[in-house]
Amino acid sequence: MIIAFKRDVDGVLLACSSLGKYPNADLVFAKNMGELKKKFSFLGIEEEVLALGFKPVDSTAGLVKEILGKRPAKMSPRDPKPVQYVDLVLRHRDANPVELVRFLVSCQGSAEVLYSGKSILARRYYRYMRDVTRAWQRLCMFSRPDLSNGILMVEVDSPHDVADIFCRWLAKKNRDVPVAVMQGTVAWLGNGELIGVENFTKTTTSFVSSLRVSAQQDDEVEKLWDVFYNSQMIQNRRNHKLAKKMQPKSSAILSKMAKKDRYVVERGISSCTLDRFV
Amino acid sequence: MNHLTLTERMRILAEGTKYDSCNQSAVCHSFTPDGRCIQLYKTLLTNSCSGECTYCPNRCQRDATRTSLEPFEIAKITWSFYRKNAVEGLFLSSGIIGDAERTTERQLEVVKLLRGQGFAGYIHVRVMPGTPKYLLEEIADYANKFGVNAETTSSLNYSEICPNFDYSNDVLERLKWTRDLIKKKRREVRYGERIVGSNDTQFVVGAVFEPDRDLIRTVNKFMDRYALRRPYFMSFEPVPNTPLQNAIPSPKWRENRLYQVSYLLKDYSLKSSDFEVIFDEHGFLVNDDPKMRLAYAHPEYFPVDINAVEREELLMVPGIGPVSASRIMQSRPIMSEQELARMGVVISRARPFIEINGCKQTNLVSFLEAN
Repeated sequence: MIIAFKRDVDGVLLACSSLGKYPNADLVFAKNMGELKKKFSFLGIEEEVLALGFKPVDSTAGLVKEILGKRPAKMSPRDPKPVQYVDLVLRHRDANPVELVRFLVSCQGSAEVLYSGKSILARRYYRYMRDVTRAWQRLCMFSRPDLSNGILMVEVDSPHDVADIFCRWLAKKNRDVPVAVMQGTVAWLGNGELIGVENFTKTTTSFVSSLRVSAQQDDEVEKLWDVFYNSQMIQNRRNHKLAKKMQPKSSAILSKMAKKDRYVVERGISSCTLDRFV
Repeated sequence: MNHLTLTERMRILAEGTKYDSCNQSAVCHSFTPDGRCIQLYKTLLTNSCSGECTYCPNRCQRDATRTSLEPFEIAKITWSFYRKNAVEGLFLSSGIIGDAERTTERQLEVVKLLRGQGFAGYIHVRVMPGTPKYLLEEIADYANKFGVNAETTSSLNYSEICPNFDYSNDVLERLKWTRDLIKKKRREVRYGERIVGSNDTQFVVGAVFEPDRDLIRTVNKFMDRYALRRPYFMSFEPVPNTPLQNAIPSPKWRENRLYQVSYLLKDYSLKSSDFEVIFDEHGFLVNDDPKMRLAYAHPEYFPVDINAVEREELLMVPGIGPVSASRIMQSRPIMSEQELARMGVVISRARPFIEINGCKQTNLVSFLEAN
């Protein structure tokens, strides 16, 4: 018996439910039906296959209760709900959906295990969830979109699959302008109804680029920001170690402005100008 | 007077707010070299001030470049930074233009202009002591957070550093009104519609001689009376050409220790009376972790059995915070230190105060008792 499931929250939850019924079944996952067929033909599988999650399903709320119990399990205010936890873990570049399904089943109806970090596997998946959350939060913190032709655009490059959640966040923050987040060849468009397309949609970078008139940089805003940023430092409180931790090296690759801020964190604000030599 | 460009005025007025603490609690967008985060565009409306606060660089009798920003200029800069995802909103303070009423009216102009332009970001208004109630009510309609700085702990101290205002009327009464308005707004605003921030205030630490005991008692009192969620502390630093220019600056560690105590009040359900044992003979905190000192001051409570005690007792153990305490409660039985470490407990701090499965760290007292 083989349980084949889609690599998404519904697929994982359905696989967990089925694994309870067929504990000896093998697990296979795929992004879509095409990939699944390719996998099967490559492996030459001819056993009985239970394909799950490839067709739209109703609500998975009942499944969550069945697999992880009814008790609320969050241990800190920042912990996501179990469904969000699974969603975030699946976005991690190293996440193994098969291992995740087996881990969820091993929880035996106790969602606390997801957050407790008691076992090594629980610790690892909690860390995956935190890695993805952190990657997304870093984008929210340090990416600096450009307003071009009435569209707020930004290119991101994250190791994890977080461009869509970042786009949703940016669109919620700027409800009055369309928002585009591009990662590689894929782009996400938020508040699309303002330009006559679907409100939140996945599209291509080339389509989004065609909406942009010119890739102009708003230097005036960046100069103003530098003035404001420098004005906020209290010189005799300089804390190199803390500042470097808070404004990490990785933030510098997210935007030009963040790169400049990181440079100031490293080097401090120069109090010496050319005027002093004249 | 020289003509100042927008950038120059912006710099002067932003510098005037660098000692003001504020937080929006969600997203920090940048960090300054001193490690503090930037969440909001912080600015004064003007640094011209009719107040004579003895520690303040903007006091009226001090020789300094005076300038202001027009409401439309503040709105424009806020929008630019907001669209650039560099801030979450605006923090607006001001010098006192004539009186508190006139100043708040001008602040309200900025806030109304922004909201009128569809600005959905966070707005925090630092209102002046003595602001009339009707203006506070109007600010509550537009701003996410607003509050008045208490600066110190008593009327006597306040009259010494802020001679133009009355502590009980201009500050405490406003804190009370703010509490009531926040309560009302939280009832009116639907979930997810808008953030209604809690009451907040700031203290200048060390401008007058007031022991930490008084500050902690005041914070505790404000938490109980005015639903203060989080106090801010700013160490006093003498400013040239002010009456306190020769005073001794307050050490930075004092501010840090006060913050630690304020978190113990806020998140650990402790009361100011619990800290009596950790003050020195003058009522000051020493430069050491207050929670660790509390634990050492109460050896009779420890070691606690990790698998048996209540959450409140776990919280008293150094190295165990609210999150790790919840994890322990929900993951019992705990069999080893490694499990605790995975839950986020700082073992090196917690070890002398805990017992796991009957195993505890030995100490000189138990060694002597055994012999």
